[in-house]
Order: sequence, then C-alpha cells, then structure tokens
Amino acid sequence: MEQPNDKIPVFASWTKWYVFVLLFNALLIILFKLFTNYFA
Amino acid sequence: MSRADWIVLIVTLAAIIAWGLYKSRTTRNLDGYFLSNRTMPWWLVLLSIMGTQASAITFLSAPGQAYTDGMRFVQYYFGLPLAMVVLSVTFLPIFHKLKIYTAYEYLESRFDVKTRTLTSFLFLLQRGVSTGISIYAPAIILSSLLGWNIYWTNIFMGGLLIIYTVTGGARAVAYTQQLQLIIIFVGMFIAAYMVVHLLPEGIGFVDALKVSGRLGKLNVITTGTNGQGFNWNDRYNIWSGIIGGFFLQLSYFGTDQSQVGRYLTAKNLTESRLGLLMNGVVKVPMQFLILLIGTLVFAFYQFNAAPLFFNKVQINKVAQSASADSLKIMQRQYDALSVQKKTAVTQWVNDYKAGVDTRASEQELKSINGQTEQVRTGFKGLLAKEGIAGDNNDTNYIFLRFVVDYLPEGLVGLLIAVIFLAAWGSIAAALNSLASCTVIDIHKKFIRKECTEQVDYSTSRWYTFAWGIFSIIVAMFATNMGSLIEAVNVLGSLFYGVILGVFLVAFYVRPVKGHAVFVSAVIIELGIILLFWKSSLGFLWLNVVGALGVVVLSLLLQPLMGKKKL
Repeated sequence: MEQPNDKIPVFASWTKWYVFVLLFNALLIILFKLFTNYFA
Repeated sequence: MSRADWIVLIVTLAAIIAWGLYKSRTTRNLDGYFLSNRTMPWWLVLLSIMGTQASAITFLSAPGQAYTDGMRFVQYYFGLPLAMVVLSVTFLPIFHKLKIYTAYEYLESRFDVKTRTLTSFLFLLQRGVSTGISIYAPAIILSSLLGWNIYWTNIFMGGLLIIYTVTGGARAVAYTQQLQLIIIFVGMFIAAYMVVHLLPEGIGFVDALKVSGRLGKLNVITTGTNGQGFNWNDRYNIWSGIIGGFFLQLSYFGTDQSQVGRYLTAKNLTESRLGLLMNGVVKVPMQFLILLIGTLVFAFYQFNAAPLFFNKVQINKVAQSASADSLKIMQRQYDALSVQKKTAVTQWVNDYKAGVDTRASEQELKSINGQTEQVRTGFKGLLAKEGIAGDNNDTNYIFLRFVVDYLPEGLVGLLIAVIFLAAWGSIAAALNSLASCTVIDIHKKFIRKECTEQVDYSTSRWYTFAWGIFSIIVAMFATNMGSLIEAVNVLGSLFYGVILGVFLVAFYVRPVKGHAVFVSAVIIELGIILLFWKSSLGFLWLNVVGALGVVVLSLLLQPLMGKKKL
C-alpha cells in the first residue's frame, strides 16, 4: 500500500509519469511512420 | 546439434533450475508462496511482467512474422502503454488497498460470489489451455528442426520448470525470470549481429534494411484501409493496434492473474506502478527490435538460398508421397529462382549504391520474390493435396531454421536455450497464477475454507504441480493450429473482452449489480464465441466487442433485474 510519504521517482507527480509514457510512445509511432516511409 | 551446443544448452538450463531453487526460500504460507510476501522492487516486477508476457512463441514467431508479413505486427502492442496508464490510475490502487491474492477476489466484494467464480473459471479455462499451447508450440518446432521426440520435448519444455515453480512459488518465478531475460536479450542480440555478419561482403545493416524495405517488410505503420475503405478483417493496423490492442492489454494486465500475480508481489503501490509504467516504455521498442531481426533474416535469404519450406519434416513427408515428382520439379524451379534472386538483389544494391535508377532492378527483384512465393504456395498445395498432417505454416520455423543452419557451434545451443528460457518464464508464471486462482477462488472458497498456513502452503504446491502436469497433457494433445502466436492471442481474445467488461462495470458503472453483470457476461461470452465462429472479424476487435458488450448489456439489464435473486 502506498504511504503518504512514498517518494515518486524522477517526476513530481504520477500525472507527469503518465504523460511521459504516452508522449514517449506517440513519438515512437511518429518515428516508426518516418521509418516506414524512408525504407518503403 | 554438436557437443558444444549440448553443453551450452544443458549448463544454461541447469543454471536456471539451480538459481530458481536457490531463490526458493520463502515463508510457508499463501502470502509467501503466491506473492513473495509483497517485497519485490519495481525493476524485478518489470522483468517479471515482461518475462511472463514474452513466451517462446514471441521469440520464435515474431521474426518469422516479420519475414512473411513485415513488421506491422508491432502495432499489436500500440495499445499497451495506454493500458499501463489506465491500470496505474484505476486498478492498482484498489488491488493494493484490498490486499487481494487474485484479481477475482475483488469482484466478490463488488458484486457476488458467482461473478467472482465465473471470471475465475473463464481465466482457468483459457490460461490452462494456452499454457499447454505455450509448451507445445516451441516443442514441436524444436522436435521438427532437431529431430527430437515430440513427447520428450514436451516433457522437458513443460516439466523441468515445475521443479523450481513448485518449490519456490512466486519468488522463484520472479528471480528466474530476471536471469532468463538477461540470457534471452544477450542471445537475441548475438543472433542479430550474426545475421548482419553473415551478409555478403560489402553489404551492411542499412543495406539489408533497404532491401527488406523495398520488398515491403518494413511496413511498421499500416492504416488498414483498402480501395473500399477500412478493412475490419485486417488483423494488424494502427487502429486495431491502438483500440483493440488497448482493450486486450488492459484485460491481460488488469484481469489475467498470470500478470496481476506479478505486480501484486511489489512491496508497495509505487513499485507496482513503476513496474507497469516502465513496461509501457520498453515493450514497443523491444518488439520492434525482435521483428527487425526477422527482416534482417529476410534480407539474408535474398543473398542466400532459402529453404522451399522451413519445416523440413513436411518436405520429407511430401518426398515420400505420391507428389514426390511434383516436389522435385518445384525444388528445381525454386533453386533456379534463388540463383536469379541473388543476382537481382546484388544488381539492385549496386544500382542503389551507384546512385543510378533502381526501378528496373527493383522490379526484377520483386518479380522473382513473387515467383518464389508462388512456388511456396504450390508446395503448401501439395501438403493439402496429400492430406499431410502437421504444421503447414512454416512462419514459426524460419528464425530457428536460420539459427540451426548458419550459426556456429555453441551459439546454436545458446539460442535453443533462449527458446527454453522464454517458454519457462511465461509457463512458470502461468502455473503460479493457475494455482493461486484454484486455491484462493475455488479450494478455499468451496472445498476447505479453514486450514492452517502449513496446509495452505502444501495445497498450493500440489495445485502448482497438478497444473504443470495438466499443461503437459494439453501440449501432448495439441494439434495443428497455424501460426501459433496468433492461436494463443486468438484464444485469449475469446475470453479477455468479457472478463474486462466485468471489471470495467465493477470500477466505473456503480449502479450495476451482480445479477445483471453475471447474466450479461454469460450472454456476451456466447455471442463472442458465435462471432468468432461465424465471422472473419479481426480477433483484436473481439476484445472491444466483449468488453463494451458486457458494459452496455448490463446497463440495459440492471433496471429489468433490479434486486431479483438468481
């Protein structure tokens, strides 16, 4: 169970973690699209 | 296999078993056996959920899938990061707060016993069968390629891991998965290096990608549209991946005990969340790299003669049938095309490097590849014509056939060990979760409610052992199922949507009570089976239909059923 003083690593809040995970993957999809276009 | 390969294989497997036994010390109660006393750090949770999801089929089929269909399979995982976020926000806090052993326990407090038992039963049904397939899938490939007896291969594939899984429970599973993943990543990295190293002189990594790309294998992003609009039967595209994949991964990680049991071992909610969120960061790139190996193998076989069919056993069967003469003609055609292909691809690379117009050589290369595919299709026609039993889809054999035919002594043993370890990681977690569900949701609920910690511990070990034996028996009975990675995913998709629907109602639709959700789940499950049987809808969509179907139907039924007792 999470304690009130449990420190969240790296980011200041979990919301920032969620945004990071989603943006990271959105960026990956964009890179994959560029990859597909470059090699196709 | 050479003596060096056998030594590498046996030493690696023995080391894992020894490591598992060494890490088996745990308190002799349910908390220790099924949840490792909730002491795991986030990185061990991460490795454990990755090791549970990535089975041997993942490492065998994914490169083959890229070889035959291109890299678009990676889109299947696009919904995973969003699922990790939703789980972290919604599911995890509740699971940790209630200190549950299985995900289905929560459903009793929210709904009733029958809903908990139904979802637990659906999980046991699909996970029990799919664990059997997880043993059989790599076993049949190894036995075909190396001439091993399939029954003994099944027993070694599914049996040896039982030693440490029964002894050490969740703790042994997590610590062995950690070591297994390290060996797997090292093995796959070496395999990728060797594919590039074995390319002809002057042909490098980028050249290989260029060849694969021009032949349509680097199609990472596809939209699923054709001349008539969106194709609902198309299995892998960005939309089915993000939407269908989201529902599938949410269900898999949120309601499948083989995964829930991994992150419940974390020492607190923060460690659980971090494990899942980091999985959302590393999973898609990892799958991308595994698929990339398949496209490199494809490029390698442009410069080298590929087998007419990667499953040698099936070729031998046709050679002994009435179609033997047809096979000889096909083999001659195929060999001639392989020589032409090598010339054409060399010409294309020379043109491309010289910066001259590549259209003519590219057209020639594509034409020859088209012809080789026609010959391969002709061979599959022979298999069908002769009614030859066995796996008539060689996708899963491609990568390992390359390993066996081209990698040096020692490395073959290492890559075969990788397949064993990948299988063990997911099977061990599955056995642990099957046992926890049987003990917590069935045995202690209906058979023997009150007993000592020692008896609980002993019962849990016996159930783990029994599920291990059951899975091996299923593997023995498993028959031809086409592309095996899809067989497991399709099987999951038949049940995951409905189970997820029940959990979504539990979390988000407070007015709906137990009777309405139970009846809805039964009706929609039957509907999903009917839909799968009668239509060709891409299987990822079954998760969406199942989950939303339960939510909508239970909302409609709730006013009608009210407080009626079933």
